[in-house]
Amino acid sequence: MTSNTETIPGFKITKSLGVATGSTVRAKHIGKDILAGLKNIVGGELKAYTELLMEARTEALGRMMMDAAQRGANAVVNVRFATSSVAGGAAELFAYGTAVTVQQE
Amino acid sequence: MYDITAESIPLLIIFVLVAVFVLFFPLAFIYSMLFGWIHESGRQKKLLAREQKVAGIVGGDNIHTLSTPISLEKISQCGLVMTNITVSPSWWQLFLGSIKSIFGGQIQSYDKVLAYGRAEAMQRLREQALGEGWSEIINVRVETSMVMNKVKGGQQNKMGTLEFLAYGTGIR
Repeated sequence: MTSNTETIPGFKITKSLGVATGSTVRAKHIGKDILAGLKNIVGGELKAYTELLMEARTEALGRMMMDAAQRGANAVVNVRFATSSVAGGAAELFAYGTAVTVQQE
Repeated sequence: MYDITAESIPLLIIFVLVAVFVLFFPLAFIYSMLFGWIHESGRQKKLLAREQKVAGIVGGDNIHTLSTPISLEKISQCGLVMTNITVSPSWWQLFLGSIKSIFGGQIQSYDKVLAYGRAEAMQRLREQALGEGWSEIINVRVETSMVMNKVKGGQQNKMGTLEFLAYGTGIR
């Protein structure tokens, strides 16, 4: 289970297992970049980027969950996301949270 | 008349390419000026219709920023729900914004882009909650970040592509 609240309502945290992290760095495809540049003329949504970023973020989240699972956690609470631009055109997507074991009350 | 010989074909190709390149930017700018607002109002109308549709199904709003549930008594399952959108202003809006930023004050053309992006991200969160069967989404946060931008000399020289991420904890 993952949650971005400090505690999961209805569940009791029994043990904290440290910070679980996951990150990925993605760059765009040059062809898609040119198409997005054309879309820029009229503005609005750039679907290629939206999909790319969501895909990357899902992967970062997956890596975070794997990290948490290796620590023996069954839930991650207080998940946060961070995005930063590293080098031209590449973005780093980072997800982190506290790995915990929870128990239904 | 002109004779097209073997030597003149490369020259002709270069001439056509230069003409296309030179004409592309002004034409694109004019297109952006004339039709950008049509695209924009179309987007906003669609968004409004979708918002009303979800409000009709849920009977209110199924996302909120509190960290405890409002309507549910007992929770059996929870999970992270996230949606995003990347938006960029049109060339015309960028032009208006860059002129306005000389004098300062409210920049309405950027305002619209930001407001639309954020509203759309939250609307997608509502729709995803409905689609995945969460009864409500608690602790919703909206984050904004600049993506795929080019930074010159350590500072941002113009507004680029923005990403809005809306996420929260779905409960049922």
